[in-house]
Amino acid sequence: MGVPALTQEWMDAYKAAILADPEYKQIAKDWEGSVSLVVLADPDKGIPETVYLFQDYWHGDVGDFVVCDKEKAENAKFVMTGDYSRWKQIARKELDATKALLQGKLKMKGDLPYVVRNIKTVNKVIDILGTFDTIWPDEV
Amino acid sequence: MGNGYAGKVLLVNLTNNSWTDLALDEQDLKKYIGGSCLAAKLYLDRYNLDADPLSEENPLMIMTGPMVGSGFPGTSRFSICAKAPQTGIWGESACGGTFGPELKRAGYDGIVFEGKSSSPVYLSLIDSQIQLLDASHLWGKDIYEATDLLKSDNKSLKVLTIGPAGENLVKISAIGNDKGHFSGRTGLGAVMGSKRLKAIVVKGSGKPAKADEERYKAAFKTAVAEVKDSALAEGLHMMGSDANMDLGMVTGDVPIKNWTVGQDFDLSYNLSGPTLSEKYLTKAHACSNCPVACKRVVKVDDGPFKTEEGPGPEYETCGTFGTMMMNPDLGAVIKANELCNKYGMDTISCGSAIALAMELFEKGTLSKDDVDGLDLSWGNMEAVMSLIKKMAYREGFGDILADGAVKAAQKIGGDSIDCVVHVKGLEAPMHDPRGFHGMGLAYMMSNRGACHLQHAVLATEQGMASWPQLFDMKDDYEGTTSVDKAALVYNSENYGILGNSLAICHYLVDILKPETILEAFNAITGFNLSTGELLESGMRDWTLKRGFNNLLGITAKDDKLPKRLLIALEEGGAAGSVPDVKLLLSEYYAIRGLDEKGFPRPEKLTELGLIELKNRLYH
Repeated sequence: MGVPALTQEWMDAYKAAILADPEYKQIAKDWEGSVSLVVLADPDKGIPETVYLFQDYWHGDVGDFVVCDKEKAENAKFVMTGDYSRWKQIARKELDATKALLQGKLKMKGDLPYVVRNIKTVNKVIDILGTFDTIWPDEV
Repeated sequence: MGNGYAGKVLLVNLTNNSWTDLALDEQDLKKYIGGSCLAAKLYLDRYNLDADPLSEENPLMIMTGPMVGSGFPGTSRFSICAKAPQTGIWGESACGGTFGPELKRAGYDGIVFEGKSSSPVYLSLIDSQIQLLDASHLWGKDIYEATDLLKSDNKSLKVLTIGPAGENLVKISAIGNDKGHFSGRTGLGAVMGSKRLKAIVVKGSGKPAKADEERYKAAFKTAVAEVKDSALAEGLHMMGSDANMDLGMVTGDVPIKNWTVGQDFDLSYNLSGPTLSEKYLTKAHACSNCPVACKRVVKVDDGPFKTEEGPGPEYETCGTFGTMMMNPDLGAVIKANELCNKYGMDTISCGSAIALAMELFEKGTLSKDDVDGLDLSWGNMEAVMSLIKKMAYREGFGDILADGAVKAAQKIGGDSIDCVVHVKGLEAPMHDPRGFHGMGLAYMMSNRGACHLQHAVLATEQGMASWPQLFDMKDDYEGTTSVDKAALVYNSENYGILGNSLAICHYLVDILKPETILEAFNAITGFNLSTGELLESGMRDWTLKRGFNNLLGITAKDDKLPKRLLIALEEGGAAGSVPDVKLLLSEYYAIRGLDEKGFPRPEKLTELGLIELKNRLYH
């Protein structure tokens, strides 16, 4: 039994998975700042409107993890934007997020050297994304 | 001047102090494009392959490409080619900077130096005015001093020069352009030194013609937009090529302690692109007409490794003088880079040779007495600075290392060759094939020895670029598998090798869409090649150089990885993984059309229009 992707329930599950991870706190101890994931509308795949997801990370702790509006999302320190299909590939570990970014399949607004410097934290958070069961809207 | 080409190469005979123009055939230009591919064709047509690389029979060829001088992003390049002193096979080394476009503006696609001068000279090519001038006042000067002297009366001259290493026939010596750009690999500075050719200065006022100016402008505009939209370009601009240090440490790409350790995040933190920017960067710098500006200008303000403001180290140098030596001091890397630049030595080969010496010192194979009393403990960078100078001047133990790690190991003896990571005599760059098996195959099959710039495998296998419009490929390749890699390497060679014939920077090959590059190429030349024809040109390029090497005795037995790369690392992104050499080679040989001896099959040579090469290989 999974949780529906890109919903508040899914964000709660994601946050819980991060907090439960035994390595996360140590790996992310230097990370400061919020991250937004923007999933572009794709009505054919069950995403009628663009979805904005806000995540707050601070030195190994996790704050707000919410579905939000565009304004809140765009005020995050890092904003990652991509097609639904790409996010799904990333969550399923079919596409590495760094490769997606370099290939232009994801776009990022924010301090790129900071991300490079903290690539272990980024990889860890994305790894965790694939650790809980998700129901994808185009597979319902 | 024709479209995209000057249509001629300047042939300079240093023995006779004479020169003449060599007209280029348009059909040859369509087939071989330019750069190192055209150089290989010229070499095979005109010169004796059996020549000693440091003899007057070995020509030194400096070649641009059709897009050079157009102003298109990344097209400031030129390739320097010869039979390589370091390896004895095909040698080429590309360079960015300012020299290539200026040579085109002076009315030439390239310069070929034949023979040998009896005394030091330099070539002055200022539009149609050509002179061979006395260089005795420059001989012995380092690259920075010689460049400054040559520009003292005219700062707009573009300079290509060697330093003491090239003069001393050090077989890992480099050639420097305007103190900021270097043609380092395979030791071509020694070919220049053997000819007593200290420098070349160029100034041109022409403008290479384009077949269709409006079409070109549209392609240029598209290219600039693609650069602006690229995270890779942004990363290179902000962090330089050393952006790879942090990322590569996670994936298992970065060699550590002479390829024996798999991961060390303290080293990568201290040696990374962000650290370079935070602590030492004074400004970013670009090659001619490049919107990416990945070059670093740096300065170490104080301490034992204080430097003047100058070109900063690339990722490769942060590897060889950083992780490979267990040196966490980026300031020391910058100093080592400055010394190599001034003396004119390749930083990959130089750093790899010193890392070998450090390992042999630790093992007791080399004693303090063997190394001129130096303490070659890991990370002792004071000793490294001494050794760099000794290598450039062939002094003491420096003379042992001066021809690269392979020849040093051969001189030292015992099992020291097992500590050298090389293919066909060229030390591998700082990308570990245990983390990326396709790179292992690419090293084995690169025509100048282990190399990451004769193909685009670094980009495709590590996910910096994806070109499904060119060939069948996945979005994401797992590094530590050999499955499905032969086809990826073959295709990435056929496309990536064009960087060296079109003479366009490999980073721009990765950043720009292939159709944008092709559109610009066709707008400039009017050749109107299809994508398929362009890729066929890449196949021809690879096969031509392979044939060159086959004629020099290279066979299947030389297509191998060194012992060290077949020993798995215990930690890091490549832990427990080694390339499956047998699988990689068997699949690749079939796709590439090589026979069991490692020769291109006759039908493949016919298919690619390489009939003369076929006749020589199968006479």
